Amino acid sequence: MEREEERMTVAAIKVENITFAYGDLEAVRGVSFEVAPGEILGFLGPNGAGKSTTIKILTGQLTPKSGTAQVLGVDVTADDPEMQSQIGVCFEEKNLYDSMSGSENLKFYASLFGIKDVDTVELLRRVGLADRAKDRVAKYSKGMKQRLMMARTLVNTPKVLFLDEPTDGLDPVSSQAIRKLIQQEADRGAAVLLTTHDMNEADELSNRLAFINEGQLYAIDTPEALKLKHGKRSIRVRSRDGAGVREQIVSLEESGAGEVLRSAVGSPDLMTIHTEEATLEAIFIQMTGRGLEG
Amino acid sequence: MSLTRTFKVLGKEFRLGPRSPVFLWVLFLPVLFTLVLQVTFGSLFDPQPRLGIVDQGSSTITTAVQGMEGIDLTLLDNAEDLKAKVEADDLDAGLVLPAGFDDQVRSGARPPLEFYVGGESLASNRIILAVTTVDLVREIEGATPPVDVAVVALGDEGFPIAVRMVPFIMMYALVVAAVFLPAFSIADEREKGTLNALIVTPVKLSEVITAKGMLGVILALAMTIFTLFLNNALGADPLALFVVLLVGSILCVEIGLIYGTVSKDSTAVFALIKGTAILLIGPTVFYIWPDWPQWIGKLFPTYWVINPIFEVTLNNAGLGDVWVELLIAIGVIALLGVAVVAMTRRLGRQLATAS
Repeated sequence: MEREEERMTVAAIKVENITFAYGDLEAVRGVSFEVAPGEILGFLGPNGAGKSTTIKILTGQLTPKSGTAQVLGVDVTADDPEMQSQIGVCFEEKNLYDSMSGSENLKFYASLFGIKDVDTVELLRRVGLADRAKDRVAKYSKGMKQRLMMARTLVNTPKVLFLDEPTDGLDPVSSQAIRKLIQQEADRGAAVLLTTHDMNEADELSNRLAFINEGQLYAIDTPEALKLKHGKRSIRVRSRDGAGVREQIVSLEESGAGEVLRSAVGSPDLMTIHTEEATLEAIFIQMTGRGLEG
Repeated sequence: MSLTRTFKVLGKEFRLGPRSPVFLWVLFLPVLFTLVLQVTFGSLFDPQPRLGIVDQGSSTITTAVQGMEGIDLTLLDNAEDLKAKVEADDLDAGLVLPAGFDDQVRSGARPPLEFYVGGESLASNRIILAVTTVDLVREIEGATPPVDVAVVALGDEGFPIAVRMVPFIMMYALVVAAVFLPAFSIADEREKGTLNALIVTPVKLSEVITAKGMLGVILALAMTIFTLFLNNALGADPLALFVVLLVGSILCVEIGLIYGTVSKDSTAVFALIKGTAILLIGPTVFYIWPDWPQWIGKLFPTYWVINPIFEVTLNNAGLGDVWVELLIAIGVIALLGVAVVAMTRRLGRQLATAS
């Protein structure tokens, strides 16, 4: 509870009404949100929704056309090396030095942050690459490269993490390893802005979710709240009916729903009871009129 | 801009360099080129005639040979060592000058002179050494030559082809080290996305570009000095040599940085350099063919760095002789510097807006 309150008082990322356009194409339109230390904000949206552009603005690569954005209290347009030294960015593309080993990649990036005694062994152990530390990255699989990218992102123990589709296209084992790492970083107190179009990942990791499409934020709330707010409040009851199966949808909005459920629970023919919770994707489609894979 | 961060990126360039075939090619090719041209035209593998002398007195012949640039002289203590070295082909020929040799010659006596010739020595070297020895003995004797040899120079006065090729070889080294390498390095990092990863750290794009420029300048200086050394063309003034090579390296590096920042990938860099090679190396052909109108060479921007280097290295000129050209080169550097800054900013925008 205390931590929840702290989240609400100190924002590691604070964005107010930012806009950005590539020529005539408005990529970000009046987006506002905050991310507190220790919080994972999932940015959920299809390709081209404005997720990566928002990250580029927040990491100082792009200057917003209007609005303000602050990371750790510093205006992102200030081009402040001190602020840059406290963030970690994980890209969607695997932009590592292939001719360096995993360990050398980490040491080089650590040196850019002014860190001389980086524990590459520990970092590589955390991503399951300790035994491949001296191998050239060119020999790594896609999943291993992505895990090394995550390790590189953490080389400066950042206070704010920007993760752009960190598990995109990975096998389940690598994806799970990276998700675990993200959760550990949030538990450490890092604010995490996670862009993804994987609703399961977003649901699993995010404290809050932001739905973005065509540069606009449609909703921002906890996954549970979004589901409750936009999902159907109903329960599916399945029970034996002679030789067959009977299925009944009980709407919780209707009077008498409690009686129906009590009766179902007391019946010896009851097989299963499931809540009819809306999926995040269904809510996204409902709100934006567009699927997440688009 | 932070020099510390710039040097960290530069350190990475040097660590990665030896692992890159392109980097090794850049270092290797000018040397190979020099060796090929030297074998074809030059004197690198035409060794000077090697003469050994055992001087048991103080003959003026020894002093005279010591003053000759074209003969590699070795002084020995005894005739046995001399013969052993000649026989082992460590020397082309050997001469034993007994004590009082010069006096005996002057007095009209005809003292015996032992002149040993290596069985494997080149005939040309044997002839040079034998004729030189005879001429020197004749000088001691004070006799006039039996004939007057009229020396008539044919063709234009000037450098031999091997020397005239030096600006070309040197410019080639400059282009690969100072133009190609930084350009390729930038485009390669852009293509692989590593530039994007660098600029979200405290490192600025301008620092990355500066580091690549510094790499080019350092390698260009090293390669040109080594190339000139191989061609025996280091000139007489080390300071002037360093200054003209530094100015030349910086100018070429700026061209490389512009090429790198405007190219989307390494293929584009190759195409750009191939397409504009004539602009970079063009002035050197006017040294190879001095009959061509020399004013045309001055139309090329690289002339203003090639010519000072040519003058300092091959004509033993000093900074006072080439200051006008150096000033023009520095002016070109200033203009190119403005272009590099503009192109770097443009690259930053392109990196950020690339999907």
